[in-house]
Amino acid sequence: MSKTILKAVVGLIVLALLLVIPKYVESPYALHMMILLFLSVSQGQSWNILGGFAGQHSVGHAAYFGVGAYTTMMLMHTWQIAPWFGVWAGMVLVVLVALVIGSICFRLRGPYFVLASIAVAEILRLSAINLTTLTNGAEGILATELPAFKVAGVVVTDFSTKVPFYYIGIFLALLTLGITYWVQHSKLGYFFQAIREDQDAAHSLGISISLYKNIALVISAVLTSLAGAFYGIYVGFVDPPTVLGLDVSVQIMLICIIGGMGTLWGPVLGSLVLVPLSEALRSNLVTDLLVRGGVVSADSRVGIFLKENLSHAHVLLYGILVVLVILFMPEGLMGFIKKMASRRKQEAV
Amino acid sequence: MAVFMQSLLSGILIGGVYALIGIGLTLIFGVMRVINFAHGDILMVGMYLTYLAFTSHFGIDPFVSVLITFPLMFLFGGFLQKVFINRVLNAVAQNQILLTIGLGLIMSNTVMLIFTSDYKILSTSYSSSTFQVGGGVSVSVPLLISFLITSVITVALYWFLLKTDTGQAIRATAQDRDAAQLMGINVKRMSIIAFGLGSALAGTAGALISPTYYIFPQVGSVFTLKAFVITVLGGMGSVVGATLGGILIGITESLSAVYISSGWKDVIVFVLFLLVLLFKPSGLMGKSRT
Repeated sequence: MSKTILKAVVGLIVLALLLVIPKYVESPYALHMMILLFLSVSQGQSWNILGGFAGQHSVGHAAYFGVGAYTTMMLMHTWQIAPWFGVWAGMVLVVLVALVIGSICFRLRGPYFVLASIAVAEILRLSAINLTTLTNGAEGILATELPAFKVAGVVVTDFSTKVPFYYIGIFLALLTLGITYWVQHSKLGYFFQAIREDQDAAHSLGISISLYKNIALVISAVLTSLAGAFYGIYVGFVDPPTVLGLDVSVQIMLICIIGGMGTLWGPVLGSLVLVPLSEALRSNLVTDLLVRGGVVSADSRVGIFLKENLSHAHVLLYGILVVLVILFMPEGLMGFIKKMASRRKQEAV
Repeated sequence: MAVFMQSLLSGILIGGVYALIGIGLTLIFGVMRVINFAHGDILMVGMYLTYLAFTSHFGIDPFVSVLITFPLMFLFGGFLQKVFINRVLNAVAQNQILLTIGLGLIMSNTVMLIFTSDYKILSTSYSSSTFQVGGGVSVSVPLLISFLITSVITVALYWFLLKTDTGQAIRATAQDRDAAQLMGINVKRMSIIAFGLGSALAGTAGALISPTYYIFPQVGSVFTLKAFVITVLGGMGSVVGATLGGILIGITESLSAVYISSGWKDVIVFVLFLLVLLFKPSGLMGKSRT
C-alpha cells in the first residue's frame, strides 16, 4: 500500500513541476522540446491502445493523424472555424474512417492486417495530393493565424507564445495516459488483452472479436486525430508527407516499440528516448559535439559532410534503434527494465 | 483503339519488371514466412549499384550491369538473412515486420548520406527512343529490353525451382519447413539462398528500371508497397501468381493513368489491393489459408 502512495506522491510532484515549468522557463526552444515530447507521448499512447493492448499492429496510423490534422486545418483555413470546434469534426470524420478501415482490415489477420492498414493510409495520402481543390494538394495548407480563445467574452489566450500550446500538449498527454490506464484496468482492456494473447481462445469464451477490435481502433483513432489536430495548429502547416506519410506511421509505432508495447509507461519512455535523440541529430548537436570533442575538425571534409548531412539522417537512427531493439530487447525498454529488476531480485534471494 | 493498345502494351512491358519484384518477395515469404518490408529498399540499392557502374569510368550499360548487380545483391541478401532475419524466424510476425522496416530505413538513409537525396537520372543513348510496331502503337526501347531480360530471368528461375535439386529443396522448405528438415534438407541454407535470390531479383529489377526511372534514396517505399500488392494479388508464396500479379498491376496502372489520371493510378492499385484482401485474400493462385 505504501508503495502505491509513494507512486502517487511522486506522480503528483512530477505533474506539479511540469505545470509550473512555463512560469520559470522562458526559452521558447525548451518549451518547444517539451511540446514535442507531449505530442509524442500522446501519439504513442494512442497507438498503444490498439497495437499494445489489442495486439493489432497498425502501420497506418498516419491516416488518423492526418485526417485529424487536415480537417482542423481545412476548416480553419477555408471557413475560419476555430480549431477547438474543428477538432470535433475531425474526430467524427476519423471515427467514420476508422470504422471503414476496421470493417475491411479486421477480417484479416497478422501480416494482412498490416498491409491493409498501410494501403488505407497511402490511399488517403495520395487523395490529399490529388484533391487539390479541397486540400491544396502537395503544397499543403498554411494557417498560422489562430483566433483568440475566449471563455464568456474574456480572452483566455491569444496564442502569441508557446505557453498555451504547452498546456494543451500536457493535457493531451495526460488524457491519453489516463485513458490507457483506464483501458489497462477495465473489463474492456481485459477483452483487448485476451484478443491479443489468443484470438481464437477469446472468441470461444464469447468475446466478440470484431466488436472489441473496432472499439480499440476507434479509441485509438480518435486520440490520434486529437494529436494530429494539435500538431496542425501548433506547426501551422500540414502537407501530405508530414502528416499522412508512411514515415509518420512508422514513427508513431516506434515510440511504443522502443518504450515497450502494452505497458502504461512504455510510450513515455520511448518518447523520452526518441524526441531528444532525433532533435539532437536534427539540430546538428551531434556534429557540434564531435567537433568540440576534437573527433573531427569543422573544416575537414568529414566535418563539413557531417554538418551538411547528419541533420537529415535522424531517420537512420530510427532504423538502427528498431533493429537493435528487436534483436536485443524485443519487449522494449520497459521489458528490459523489468527483466533487470527481476534478475536483481533473484540474485538478492 | 490505338491508345488502348498502346497503354496495354506498355502495361505489360512494365509489368514484367513488377513481376520480378513480386517473385522476389513471394519467394522470401514462401520459404521463411517473413514479409520483407525492405524489399523496395533492396531494389533501391540495386538502382544505385547500376548508377555507380554507369557513372564509373567503365561506363557499364545498365542492362549489362545486371551481370554485376545480380550476384552482388545475392550476396547482400544472403548476408541480411544470416545476420538479421535468421534471428527472428521464430519471433512474432510484428517483430519480423519491424526488423525489416528498420533495415529498410537504414539502407535508404545510408544511401542518402552517401549520395544525398538529389534525384539522379541515368540517361543512356536509348533512354527515350521508341520504335513503331504499326497501328500507331510504339514501343519504348529500354522497356522492351528490360522486358526481354525479365522474361529470360523468369524462365531461368522457373527452371531452377522446378528442375534442380536446390530448387526442389527450396520448394520443399516452403511447403513444410519441419518436414523438409526431417528429410535432411539444410533449411537454414535454403533460407539464405531464398533471401539472396529474392534480393537479387529485386536488385535486378532496380537495375532494369534505372534507365527510365528517377533514382533517389526514398524510391524504395513505392516499390515495397507495389510488391505487396502484386504478391497478395497473386497469392502469397506463389511464384506463378506473382508473375501474373506483376503483369496485371502493370496493365492496371498503365490503363488507369490513361483513362483516369496519372495522379490517381496508385490509388486505383491500392483500392484493387483492398478489394482482393476483402473478397479473395488467398489471391489468384493461392491455396486457401488454414
